[in-house]
Amino acid sequence: MKDQPDDTKDQPDDASNRDTIGSGGFVSRLRSLDRGRVGLYLALLAMVGFYLTPIETGLVTSLKTNQAVIETAPYAPPGPSGFTLEKWQTAIDQLLRGMGNSMLYAVPATAISAFFGSLAAYGLTVADWSKRYKAPLLALFVAGIFIPYQAVLVPLSQFWGQYVQLGQNLGFVWALGIDNDYAGIIELVTTHVAYGIPICTILFRSYYKTLSTEMIESARLDGASLRRVYRRIVLPLSTPMFAVVLIYQFTQIWNDLLFTLVLVATESSPAAPVVLILAGLGTGMEGTDFPLRMAGAFFTALPTLAVYIAFGEEFAEGVTT
Amino acid sequence: MATLELDTVTKVYQESDDRIVAVDGISLSIDDGEFLVVVGPSGCGKSTMLRMVAGLESITDGVIRLDGQVINNVKSQDRDIAMVFQSYALYPHMTVEGNMSFGLEESTDMPDSEIASRVGDTAEMLDIAELLNRKPGELSGGQQQRVALGRAIVRDPKVFLMDEPLSNLDAKLRSQMRTELQRLQEELGVTTVYVTHDQTEAMTMGDRIAILNDGELQQVATPLEAYHEPANLFVAGFIGEPSMNFFEMEVQGDRLSGDLFDYRLSEEARETVNDVTHVTLGIRPEDVEIVADGSGDHDFNAVVDVVEPMGNENNVYLSFEADGETDLVATIDGMRSLDAGQPVVARLPESAIHLFDTESGTVLKNRSLDGREETEPRV
Repeated sequence: MKDQPDDTKDQPDDASNRDTIGSGGFVSRLRSLDRGRVGLYLALLAMVGFYLTPIETGLVTSLKTNQAVIETAPYAPPGPSGFTLEKWQTAIDQLLRGMGNSMLYAVPATAISAFFGSLAAYGLTVADWSKRYKAPLLALFVAGIFIPYQAVLVPLSQFWGQYVQLGQNLGFVWALGIDNDYAGIIELVTTHVAYGIPICTILFRSYYKTLSTEMIESARLDGASLRRVYRRIVLPLSTPMFAVVLIYQFTQIWNDLLFTLVLVATESSPAAPVVLILAGLGTGMEGTDFPLRMAGAFFTALPTLAVYIAFGEEFAEGVTT
Repeated sequence: MATLELDTVTKVYQESDDRIVAVDGISLSIDDGEFLVVVGPSGCGKSTMLRMVAGLESITDGVIRLDGQVINNVKSQDRDIAMVFQSYALYPHMTVEGNMSFGLEESTDMPDSEIASRVGDTAEMLDIAELLNRKPGELSGGQQQRVALGRAIVRDPKVFLMDEPLSNLDAKLRSQMRTELQRLQEELGVTTVYVTHDQTEAMTMGDRIAILNDGELQQVATPLEAYHEPANLFVAGFIGEPSMNFFEMEVQGDRLSGDLFDYRLSEEARETVNDVTHVTLGIRPEDVEIVADGSGDHDFNAVVDVVEPMGNENNVYLSFEADGETDLVATIDGMRSLDAGQPVVARLPESAIHLFDTESGTVLKNRSLDGREETEPRV
């Protein structure tokens, strides 16, 4: 990416040659760029454009009036008369409560599944017990990753609907004045934790296998029990992998629509997650309100973006190990 | 401080139908405050033995006693043993101070203030006081090694186990740390088991050395005993650099007859051989004398093949036939010059020879030490 400025200035080569103020070093550097490199940068630039166009299109659309959407090309920015922030305003108004509800299950489900995954991986790697028993357990965890969401929808709704009826069992909570639709949030947390543990375990396992066994042995000889070794050595050293797992799990859980459809169902519910409200946003008898849907989509994606930015540095460290 | 006893300790790795015996019935007893060096070629089971003492490997058979108590089933963390690893195995996320106090925090109820003062004292002793707030990643190899030592010392354990702790250091630092480790061990008086494959460390550091081969204990002795009075062929060949010269011989009356030369034995020496028919004659390079000419029973004509000047001495590779392979290595004074191709006479004095039973490897006769002033080992 560092060389990109060179590339963009590549075409007006003559102009920069005549540039009397320009440094000779820059000009000679341009000359030394061979055709192959120029081609490479152009191809890269084309790919960047290819991937950014939909995002750019969405962003400009979200800033247009309904009239401007009809009159301008999708990727063209709105003119002064077609520009409005009204759609964003509407989207935020409608989605904000869903945002809160989503946070309510996405944050705990992410944290708990990451923690359990790390614990399970610790047990499968560092803890000293026979490989004979570890292998089948590991196979179970791996198999758990490949169970598709769709395959468990019916058992899942039966489980929560018939066997574990939180709506009734947690009566004392609803007596406090909390809407009993929030049982759906608890169900979502539990379901996502259960679904997330296998992948988290496998990710942590690959990381823990790289930890020095001598270091762990050293800690054991220093008098630390298995639990203390986890708490004081392994857990603090897991930060980079936690960043990877948190980003992955949070995005996954935040964006999931299927489980929310099954467990919370209606967007009018006070416990409706943001994805559920977003699904119905800007759709109506009079047609699709594209700017509103775009604004809603961007607004909904903000938390996942924030998580990436917050853990970006650790993430980079984690994926390289 | 404690005594450590190994009683016919055995380790067998069972992999499906393969039985691999890593440690084969080792019995050893290490006195309170003793520095025992365990030495042997790689794969001889010395590290496995150490790890069994630490509780990191299960014991297949036999008993390990610490201060008279059987510790076979005591978990590592309850054994009160500290180990220094070759890789140092420091905790990378903790400062030097954190690394050193970890053991005390985990294994004792000591108040923080006392832990801090003990860590401070130990750091002072090891000259790493100014590094206490740094992380291991910011330290040089030598400094990390000191921290690893400090982490063991600060706990004041019953036994120190050291698994090749100096082999990741450069040569100069290694010899420096060697002396320092010895000094520290003497000062602290903690029973120490030190595993190494390095001869110099084995010869110079320990009170006694235990030589292992193929999981079996070959000999336990002081370094000088092992050097001058090896129990068998393996020890004789393993200890000493360049290694002892060996010649396989057949006993014929009072003579030993070999492919390269015949060697006449005195009556006294002949008696030690008894009715063994095949013996191996061994002689250390420094005991081979190179003389201008001679025609005694133990003088043999040879040709200089290669000379390796070491500075203080020269290693001379001799061959009994011109243009033949090297048959005999001799070490002579560094100031004496010999040239390749030069014919010489090699004298193998009877007082310096060792005789071993070729078949079993056991020693029949060791060199006599009477009247010898130089008893320092060469390594």
